[in-house]
Amino acid sequence: MTPTPTAPDGLGTLAGQAFAAYRAGDRERLSSLVDLVTPVLWNAARSQGGTPSMCEDAVQTAFLQLVDRAESINEPAAVLGWLVVVVKREVWRLARGSRREIGVEEVPEAPAQSLDPEAQSILSERQRVLWQHIASLSPRCQELIRVIAFADRPDYAAIAESLGMPVGSIGPTRGRCLQKLRLTLGSDPGWAV
Amino acid sequence: MSSHKDVIDDKDLANLAQVRALYAHADPVPVDLTERIKFALTVQALHAEVAELMDSAMLATRGPSAPVEPMPTESVTFSAASVSLMVTANESDIEGRVRVDGWVTAPGASIEAVTSEGSTSVISDANGRFVMDDLPHGPIHFVIMVEPGDETTRPVITPTIQV
Repeated sequence: MTPTPTAPDGLGTLAGQAFAAYRAGDRERLSSLVDLVTPVLWNAARSQGGTPSMCEDAVQTAFLQLVDRAESINEPAAVLGWLVVVVKREVWRLARGSRREIGVEEVPEAPAQSLDPEAQSILSERQRVLWQHIASLSPRCQELIRVIAFADRPDYAAIAESLGMPVGSIGPTRGRCLQKLRLTLGSDPGWAV
Repeated sequence: MSSHKDVIDDKDLANLAQVRALYAHADPVPVDLTERIKFALTVQALHAEVAELMDSAMLATRGPSAPVEPMPTESVTFSAASVSLMVTANESDIEGRVRVDGWVTAPGASIEAVTSEGSTSVISDANGRFVMDDLPHGPIHFVIMVEPGDETTRPVITPTIQV
Protein backbone atom coordinates (compact mmCIF):
# COMPACT_ATOMS: atom_id res chain seq x y z
CA MET A 1 0.00 0.00 0.00
CA THR A 2 1.31 3.43 -0.89
CA PRO A 3 1.15 6.22 1.69
CA THR A 4 -1.83 8.56 1.54
CA PRO A 5 -1.20 10.84 -1.42
CA THR A 6 -0.87 14.46 -0.49
CA ALA A 7 -0.96 15.99 -3.94
CA PRO A 8 -0.59 19.74 -3.43
CA ASP A 9 -3.30 20.53 -5.95
CA GLY A 10 -6.18 18.52 -4.48
CA LEU A 11 -9.41 20.47 -4.14
CA GLY A 12 -9.35 20.11 -0.36
CA THR A 13 -5.82 21.50 -0.17
CA LEU A 14 -6.67 24.48 -2.38
CA ALA A 15 -9.81 25.14 -0.35
CA GLY A 16 -7.81 24.95 2.88
CA GLN A 17 -5.27 27.43 1.54
CA ALA A 18 -7.96 29.87 0.41
CA PHE A 19 -9.72 29.66 3.77
CA ALA A 20 -6.47 30.08 5.74
CA ALA A 21 -5.61 33.16 3.65
CA TYR A 22 -9.10 34.55 4.23
CA ARG A 23 -8.73 34.06 7.98
CA ALA A 24 -5.35 35.77 7.85
CA GLY A 25 -7.03 38.88 6.45
CA ASP A 26 -7.07 38.38 2.68
CA ARG A 27 -10.82 38.84 2.35
CA GLU A 28 -10.85 38.36 -1.42
CA ARG A 29 -9.89 34.72 -1.02
CA LEU A 30 -13.36 33.93 0.27
CA SER A 31 -14.59 34.35 -3.31
CA SER A 32 -12.00 31.85 -4.53
CA LEU A 33 -13.22 29.39 -1.92
CA VAL A 34 -16.82 29.81 -3.11
CA ASP A 35 -15.78 29.25 -6.74
CA LEU A 36 -13.67 26.21 -5.85
CA VAL A 37 -16.03 24.21 -3.72
CA THR A 38 -19.55 25.15 -4.84
CA PRO A 39 -19.71 22.33 -7.45
CA VAL A 40 -18.85 19.61 -4.92
CA LEU A 41 -21.19 21.14 -2.32
CA TRP A 42 -24.02 21.39 -4.84
CA ASN A 43 -23.63 17.70 -5.63
CA ALA A 44 -23.37 16.79 -1.94
CA ALA A 45 -26.65 18.66 -1.44
CA ARG A 46 -28.43 17.27 -4.48
CA SER A 47 -27.30 13.74 -3.63
CA GLN A 48 -29.43 13.95 -0.48
CA GLY A 49 -32.58 14.27 -2.57
CA GLY A 50 -33.36 17.91 -1.73
CA THR A 51 -35.12 20.18 -4.22
CA PRO A 52 -32.93 22.61 -6.18
CA SER A 53 -34.04 25.61 -4.11
CA MET A 54 -33.44 23.71 -0.87
CA CYS A 55 -29.97 22.80 -2.07
CA GLU A 56 -29.15 26.37 -3.05
CA ASP A 57 -30.16 27.52 0.42
CA ALA A 58 -28.15 24.75 2.05
CA VAL A 59 -24.96 25.64 0.18
CA GLN A 60 -25.38 29.34 0.92
CA THR A 61 -26.10 28.66 4.58
CA ALA A 62 -22.95 26.57 4.88
CA PHE A 63 -20.80 29.47 3.69
CA LEU A 64 -22.56 31.97 5.96
CA GLN A 65 -21.99 29.64 8.93
CA LEU A 66 -18.37 29.19 7.91
CA VAL A 67 -17.79 32.94 8.00
CA ASP A 68 -19.69 33.27 11.28
CA ARG A 69 -17.54 30.60 12.89
CA ALA A 70 -14.35 31.22 10.93
CA GLU A 71 -12.25 31.89 14.03
CA SER A 72 -13.42 28.81 15.90
CA ILE A 73 -12.62 26.30 13.17
CA ASN A 74 -9.65 24.35 14.44
CA GLU A 75 -8.37 22.94 11.19
CA PRO A 76 -8.60 25.42 8.30
CA ALA A 77 -7.10 22.72 6.08
CA ALA A 78 -10.18 20.55 6.67
CA VAL A 79 -12.62 23.24 5.54
CA LEU A 80 -13.95 21.20 2.60
CA GLY A 81 -15.02 18.36 4.88
CA TRP A 82 -16.52 20.85 7.33
CA LEU A 83 -18.62 22.40 4.56
CA VAL A 84 -19.80 19.01 3.27
CA VAL A 85 -20.99 18.05 6.76
CA VAL A 86 -22.92 21.31 7.16
CA VAL A 87 -24.48 21.08 3.69
CA LYS A 88 -25.64 17.52 4.20
CA ARG A 89 -27.12 18.32 7.61
CA GLU A 90 -28.73 21.50 6.28
CA VAL A 91 -30.50 19.72 3.41
CA TRP A 92 -31.95 17.21 5.82
CA ARG A 93 -33.01 19.97 8.19
CA LEU A 94 -34.76 21.82 5.37
CA ALA A 95 -36.33 18.61 4.07
CA ARG A 96 -37.79 17.91 7.48
CA GLY A 97 -39.21 21.40 7.54
CA SER A 98 -40.52 22.48 10.87
CA ARG A 99 -40.65 19.01 12.35
CA ARG A 100 -37.53 19.16 14.49
CA GLU A 101 -33.86 19.92 14.57
CA ILE A 102 -31.65 16.97 13.92
CA GLY A 103 -28.11 16.42 15.08
CA VAL A 104 -25.19 15.34 12.91
CA GLU A 105 -25.42 11.80 14.21
CA GLU A 106 -29.03 11.54 13.16
CA VAL A 107 -28.57 12.44 9.52
CA PRO A 108 -30.20 9.61 7.61
CA GLU A 109 -28.72 7.91 4.62
CA ALA A 110 -29.13 9.45 1.20
CA PRO A 111 -31.78 8.02 -1.12
CA ALA A 112 -30.92 6.43 -4.46
CA GLN A 113 -29.86 9.15 -6.89
CA SER A 114 -32.54 10.30 -9.26
CA LEU A 115 -32.72 12.57 -12.29
CA ASP A 116 -35.81 14.36 -13.58
CA PRO A 117 -37.24 12.90 -16.75
CA GLU A 118 -36.22 16.16 -18.38
CA ALA A 119 -32.62 15.74 -17.22
CA GLN A 120 -32.59 12.12 -18.35
CA SER A 121 -33.78 13.13 -21.78
CA ILE A 122 -30.68 15.28 -22.37
CA LEU A 123 -28.21 12.50 -21.55
CA SER A 124 -26.06 11.20 -24.35
CA GLU A 125 -26.37 7.53 -25.35
CA ARG A 126 -23.24 6.71 -23.37
CA GLN A 127 -24.42 8.66 -20.34
CA ARG A 128 -27.68 6.68 -20.44
CA VAL A 129 -25.64 3.48 -20.20
CA LEU A 130 -23.58 4.93 -17.34
CA TRP A 131 -26.73 6.02 -15.56
CA GLN A 132 -28.07 2.44 -15.64
CA HIS A 133 -24.87 1.22 -14.03
CA ILE A 134 -24.88 3.95 -11.39
CA ALA A 135 -28.46 3.02 -10.55
CA SER A 136 -27.39 -0.58 -9.95
CA LEU A 137 -25.15 0.48 -7.01
CA SER A 138 -26.37 0.77 -3.43
CA PRO A 139 -27.74 4.23 -2.53
CA ARG A 140 -24.76 4.73 -0.20
CA CYS A 141 -22.30 4.06 -3.03
CA GLN A 142 -24.28 6.25 -5.43
CA GLU A 143 -24.00 9.14 -2.99
CA LEU A 144 -20.28 8.64 -2.41
CA ILE A 145 -19.44 8.24 -6.08
CA ARG A 146 -21.41 11.33 -7.05
CA VAL A 147 -19.75 13.59 -4.50
CA ILE A 148 -16.14 12.43 -4.87
CA ALA A 149 -16.48 12.73 -8.64
CA PHE A 150 -16.41 16.50 -8.07
CA ALA A 151 -13.24 16.41 -5.98
CA ASP A 152 -9.69 15.11 -6.41
CA ARG A 153 -8.10 11.83 -5.41
CA PRO A 154 -6.45 13.17 -2.22
CA ASP A 155 -9.89 14.35 -1.00
CA TYR A 156 -11.84 11.09 -1.26
CA ALA A 157 -11.15 9.81 2.24
CA ALA A 158 -12.08 13.08 3.94
CA ILE A 159 -15.23 13.47 1.87
CA ALA A 160 -16.33 9.91 2.59
CA GLU A 161 -15.90 10.57 6.27
CA SER A 162 -17.85 13.85 6.02
CA LEU A 163 -20.69 11.95 4.39
CA GLY A 164 -20.73 9.62 7.37
CA MET A 165 -18.97 6.62 5.84
CA PRO A 166 -16.52 4.48 7.79
CA VAL A 167 -12.89 5.59 7.85
CA GLY A 168 -10.98 3.63 5.23
CA SER A 169 -14.03 3.10 2.99
CA ILE A 170 -12.17 4.77 0.14
CA GLY A 171 -8.79 6.36 -0.60
CA PRO A 172 -6.00 5.60 -1.11
CA THR A 173 -7.50 2.17 -1.78
CA ARG A 174 -10.33 1.83 -4.25
CA GLY A 175 -12.90 0.76 -1.71
CA ARG A 176 -16.05 -1.22 -2.38
CA CYS A 177 -18.03 1.50 -4.14
CA LEU A 178 -15.42 2.34 -6.78
CA GLN A 179 -14.74 -1.38 -7.19
CA LYS A 180 -18.43 -2.06 -7.86
CA LEU A 181 -18.63 0.74 -10.38
CA ARG A 182 -15.53 -0.63 -12.10
CA LEU A 183 -16.91 -4.16 -12.19
CA THR A 184 -20.36 -3.25 -13.44
CA LEU A 185 -18.93 -1.04 -16.19
CA GLY A 186 -16.28 -3.64 -17.02
CA SER A 187 -18.89 -6.36 -17.44
CA ASP A 188 -20.82 -4.32 -20.00
CA PRO A 189 -19.64 -4.96 -23.56
CA GLY A 190 -21.46 -1.77 -24.53
CA TRP A 191 -19.13 0.21 -22.30
CA ALA A 192 -15.72 -0.69 -23.67
CA VAL A 193 -13.54 2.26 -22.72
CA MET B 1 -8.32 -9.12 -11.34
CA SER B 2 -8.84 -5.87 -9.49
CA SER B 3 -9.72 -5.70 -5.83
CA HIS B 4 -11.25 -3.06 -3.61
CA LYS B 5 -7.98 -3.08 -1.67
CA ASP B 6 -5.98 -1.92 -4.69
CA VAL B 7 -4.89 1.66 -4.98
CA ILE B 8 -7.20 3.90 -7.02
CA ASP B 9 -5.87 3.94 -10.57
CA ASP B 10 -6.37 5.85 -13.80
CA LYS B 11 -9.29 3.68 -14.82
CA ASP B 12 -11.15 4.59 -11.64
CA LEU B 13 -10.38 8.25 -12.24
CA ALA B 14 -11.65 7.93 -15.81
CA ASN B 15 -14.88 6.37 -14.53
CA LEU B 16 -15.30 9.19 -12.03
CA ALA B 17 -14.68 11.78 -14.74
CA GLN B 18 -17.58 10.25 -16.69
CA VAL B 19 -19.79 10.34 -13.59
CA ARG B 20 -18.88 13.96 -13.06
CA ALA B 21 -19.68 14.86 -16.67
CA LEU B 22 -23.04 13.13 -16.36
CA TYR B 23 -24.16 15.02 -13.26
CA ALA B 24 -22.66 18.31 -14.44
CA HIS B 25 -24.69 17.95 -17.62
CA ALA B 26 -27.97 16.65 -16.17
CA ASP B 27 -28.05 18.57 -12.87
CA PRO B 28 -25.71 21.55 -13.24
CA VAL B 29 -24.91 24.07 -10.52
CA PRO B 30 -27.36 26.96 -11.10
CA VAL B 31 -25.49 29.55 -13.17
CA ASP B 32 -25.79 32.40 -10.72
CA LEU B 33 -25.41 30.41 -7.48
CA THR B 34 -21.83 31.44 -6.74
CA GLU B 35 -22.63 35.12 -7.38
CA ARG B 36 -25.61 34.97 -5.05
CA ILE B 37 -23.53 33.29 -2.35
CA LYS B 38 -20.82 35.95 -2.66
CA PHE B 39 -23.46 38.65 -2.45
CA ALA B 40 -24.94 37.10 0.70
CA LEU B 41 -21.47 36.88 2.23
CA THR B 42 -20.82 40.56 1.45
CA VAL B 43 -24.11 41.62 2.99
CA GLN B 44 -23.25 39.60 6.09
CA ALA B 45 -19.71 40.97 6.28
CA LEU B 46 -20.88 44.60 5.97
CA HIS B 47 -23.97 44.17 8.14
CA ALA B 48 -25.50 45.99 5.21
CA GLU B 49 -29.02 46.98 4.35
CA VAL B 50 -30.03 45.56 0.97
CA ALA B 51 -31.59 48.08 -1.41
CA GLU B 52 -34.47 46.99 -3.57
CA LEU B 53 -34.34 47.16 -7.35
CA MET B 54 -37.29 49.40 -8.22
CA ASP B 55 -37.46 49.17 -11.99
CA SER B 56 -35.57 46.94 -14.31
CA ALA B 57 -36.98 47.35 -17.76
CA MET B 58 -33.58 47.00 -19.36
CA LEU B 59 -31.16 45.84 -16.73
CA ALA B 60 -32.08 42.50 -15.28
CA THR B 61 -30.37 40.94 -12.31
CA ARG B 62 -28.74 37.89 -13.70
CA GLY B 63 -25.70 35.73 -13.49
CA PRO B 64 -22.30 36.57 -14.88
CA SER B 65 -22.46 33.75 -17.39
CA ALA B 66 -25.39 35.35 -19.20
CA PRO B 67 -24.49 36.58 -22.65
CA VAL B 68 -23.66 40.24 -22.88
CA GLU B 69 -26.82 42.13 -23.75
CA PRO B 70 -26.95 45.29 -25.80
CA MET B 71 -25.89 48.21 -23.63
CA PRO B 72 -28.91 49.40 -21.65
CA THR B 73 -29.54 53.13 -21.66
CA GLU B 74 -32.48 53.34 -19.30
CA SER B 75 -32.05 54.25 -15.68
CA VAL B 76 -32.31 51.80 -12.85
CA THR B 77 -33.39 52.84 -9.40
CA PHE B 78 -32.49 51.12 -6.14
CA SER B 79 -34.27 52.04 -2.98
CA ALA B 80 -33.50 51.53 0.71
CA ALA B 81 -34.86 53.13 3.87
CA SER B 82 -31.98 55.60 4.20
CA VAL B 83 -31.10 56.31 0.57
CA SER B 84 -32.09 55.84 -3.07
CA LEU B 85 -29.72 55.41 -5.97
CA MET B 86 -30.40 55.93 -9.67
CA VAL B 87 -27.85 54.80 -12.25
CA THR B 88 -27.61 54.89 -16.02
CA ALA B 89 -25.02 52.88 -17.90
CA ASN B 90 -23.62 53.90 -21.30
CA GLU B 91 -20.61 53.18 -23.46
CA SER B 92 -17.64 55.08 -22.07
CA ASP B 93 -15.36 57.31 -24.16
CA ILE B 94 -12.72 54.80 -23.15
CA GLU B 95 -12.84 51.97 -25.68
CA GLY B 96 -14.74 48.91 -24.47
CA ARG B 97 -15.50 50.38 -21.05
CA VAL B 98 -18.70 51.38 -19.33
CA ARG B 99 -19.66 54.80 -18.01
CA VAL B 100 -22.13 54.99 -15.14
CA ASP B 101 -23.90 58.25 -14.38
CA GLY B 102 -25.50 58.15 -10.99
CA TRP B 103 -27.49 60.14 -8.53
CA VAL B 104 -28.04 59.43 -4.84
CA THR B 105 -30.42 61.13 -2.47
CA ALA B 106 -27.43 62.05 -0.27
CA PRO B 107 -24.71 64.58 -1.15
CA GLY B 108 -21.24 63.64 0.05
CA ALA B 109 -22.06 59.94 0.15
CA SER B 110 -19.45 57.38 -0.76
CA ILE B 111 -20.45 55.10 -3.64
CA GLU B 112 -18.38 52.01 -4.25
CA ALA B 113 -18.84 50.09 -7.50
CA VAL B 114 -17.88 46.43 -7.13
CA THR B 115 -17.11 44.67 -10.41
CA SER B 116 -15.23 41.62 -11.60
CA GLU B 117 -12.06 43.75 -11.53
CA GLY B 118 -12.39 44.88 -7.93
CA SER B 119 -13.90 48.07 -6.60
CA THR B 120 -13.86 51.79 -7.33
CA SER B 121 -15.15 54.51 -5.02
CA VAL B 122 -16.37 58.06 -5.60
CA ILE B 123 -18.05 60.70 -3.45
CA SER B 124 -21.32 62.20 -4.64
CA ASP B 125 -21.29 65.97 -5.27
CA ALA B 126 -23.43 68.61 -3.56
CA ASN B 127 -26.36 67.55 -5.73
CA GLY B 128 -25.80 63.86 -5.12
CA ARG B 129 -24.39 63.26 -8.60
CA PHE B 130 -21.43 61.08 -9.49
CA VAL B 131 -19.75 59.59 -12.58
CA MET B 132 -17.62 56.50 -13.08
CA ASP B 133 -16.29 56.19 -16.63
CA ASP B 134 -13.84 53.29 -16.55
CA LEU B 135 -15.86 50.26 -15.51
CA PRO B 136 -15.81 46.82 -17.13
CA HIS B 137 -18.81 45.16 -18.75
CA GLY B 138 -20.35 42.45 -16.63
CA PRO B 139 -21.86 42.14 -13.18
CA ILE B 140 -21.78 45.18 -10.91
CA HIS B 141 -23.22 46.13 -7.56
CA PHE B 142 -22.95 49.27 -5.47
CA VAL B 143 -22.22 49.83 -1.79
CA ILE B 144 -23.33 53.22 -0.48
CA MET B 145 -22.14 54.87 2.73
CA VAL B 146 -24.43 57.85 3.35
CA GLU B 147 -21.99 59.26 5.90
CA PRO B 148 -18.56 57.94 5.04
CA GLY B 149 -16.39 57.71 8.11
CA ASP B 150 -19.31 57.23 10.47
CA GLU B 151 -18.92 53.65 11.60
CA THR B 152 -22.35 53.57 13.22
CA THR B 153 -24.38 53.89 10.01
CA ARG B 154 -25.07 50.73 8.09
CA PRO B 155 -23.91 50.63 4.49
CA VAL B 156 -26.53 50.04 1.80
CA ILE B 157 -25.80 47.38 -0.80
CA THR B 158 -27.63 46.97 -4.11
CA PRO B 159 -28.38 43.72 -5.90
CA THR B 160 -26.04 42.83 -8.74
CA ILE B 161 -26.97 44.07 -12.21
CA GLN B 162 -25.37 43.45 -15.56
CA VAL B 163 -23.89 46.37 -17.52
